Amino acid sequence: MSLPLPALLTALANAQANEVAPALQLLGQPAAPDANYAGGTAATSALILMIAAAETAARPAREAACAAAARALIGGAADGRDSRAAALGALLAQGDNRALALLKAEAEAEWAVLAGLMLPPPVGIE
Amino acid sequence: MPAEHLARFLSEHWGEPVSISGLKRFHGGSARQTYRFDAIGASGRREALVLRRDPPSSLIETDRLAEYRAIQCFAGSNVPVPEPIFCDEGPDSFGSPGFLMREVPGGAAAGLLEPEPYGEHAAAIGQQFFTALGRIHAADPARARLPAMASADAAAARLAHWKAAFDADAFRPEPLLDAAFRWLAANLPPPPEYISIVHGDYRSGNFLHDGAGTLLAVLDWEMVHPGDAHEDLAWACDPLWSNFSGRPAATLPLAEAIATWEAASGLTLNPESWRWWRLFAQVQGLVIWISAAREIIDGRSHDPVLMFAGTIPYRFHCVTLARALEALT
Repeated sequence: MSLPLPALLTALANAQANEVAPALQLLGQPAAPDANYAGGTAATSALILMIAAAETAARPAREAACAAAARALIGGAADGRDSRAAALGALLAQGDNRALALLKAEAEAEWAVLAGLMLPPPVGIE
Repeated sequence: MPAEHLARFLSEHWGEPVSISGLKRFHGGSARQTYRFDAIGASGRREALVLRRDPPSSLIETDRLAEYRAIQCFAGSNVPVPEPIFCDEGPDSFGSPGFLMREVPGGAAAGLLEPEPYGEHAAAIGQQFFTALGRIHAADPARARLPAMASADAAAARLAHWKAAFDADAFRPEPLLDAAFRWLAANLPPPPEYISIVHGDYRSGNFLHDGAGTLLAVLDWEMVHPGDAHEDLAWACDPLWSNFSGRPAATLPLAEAIATWEAASGLTLNPESWRWWRLFAQVQGLVIWISAAREIIDGRSHDPVLMFAGTIPYRFHCVTLARALEALT
């Protein structure tokens, strides 16, 4: 995902202390100007926590599968998201559609992590 | 919290002591902080108002005066917008740059993940939504005091805008976006028939409806600019804003949406432009989500809304962009 997991977890910890904890205090004060905002902040934070938990559980297996799938095409560069993305991107720039297929499969695998949060797959509009 | 700013500002403008009650901040909308409140004058005058002001960290850099002028342009027209009242580009009036509008009572906006947000009124809302978009595109950009733009520059200017944002905020390899930028640069669409007012973020979730099939007000004009009308139409029809329904903005079937827009705008969809701007819409989205993630990574914000943008919409657009690139080959 765009937000690397360590950065997301660090930001979540900060958010819990600086945004969510004060927000929870406000939830009990519906007349407070920021009570409504606080409710939304707490709910969004809870969703992000679920995403982070799902990502933590799913990432090792997904990473291993994506690396294994790409190894035949890019060798050792397949290990690690950024080196794999850079190597597949270089092939894609040369018109190698096998690289696009691998990148698409990885994007779909990343989305699949969200299925546990009851999010259906993206639906096209045609 | 701007209550003291609001009371001071309105007391000066109304010429009587004004108190503020019912101040409430809305959640979401990372480009602006939005509050509603009741202003009550000593004479008994009472008005329900909305303040939109700049936050300390914004998902996108925008021009509040351009937003205000766009709302002014359509106030009282057949494009429903809130009534604008006052704009201050500086911090004096509201603590940070912002503007006041009259509150639109009884309105609700759809959530991104809410299934079928308009229920049995989806078709009625879609008719009004795409009609309003067509009317926006039929209007003269000079009325909104937008800068002049040559038709030939419409696509290239937007591409350059989002490429610069991507170059500034990217923090790791993004090969799908790189490939999309290459394709867009190599396949620029034909110039539009004329330059339109482009809302810039016209989509489900950025308008108020009454829950009974009436669109009350088009909101969130902060990304307004002159350009190709196809840009707005493609963004409005992007799958991300369909609430997983497969219908543009979770309303009408695509063909009906386009026909409605054509009837209201007087424009005819150009298939070549349409293909280009649909891909562009996904690129624009991904750059916005990456910029949101960058705010978090760099520690400028720990707003969960920006974290959300950097996760669910990002992953959504990675999938749809990969599919779109595959379809181009």
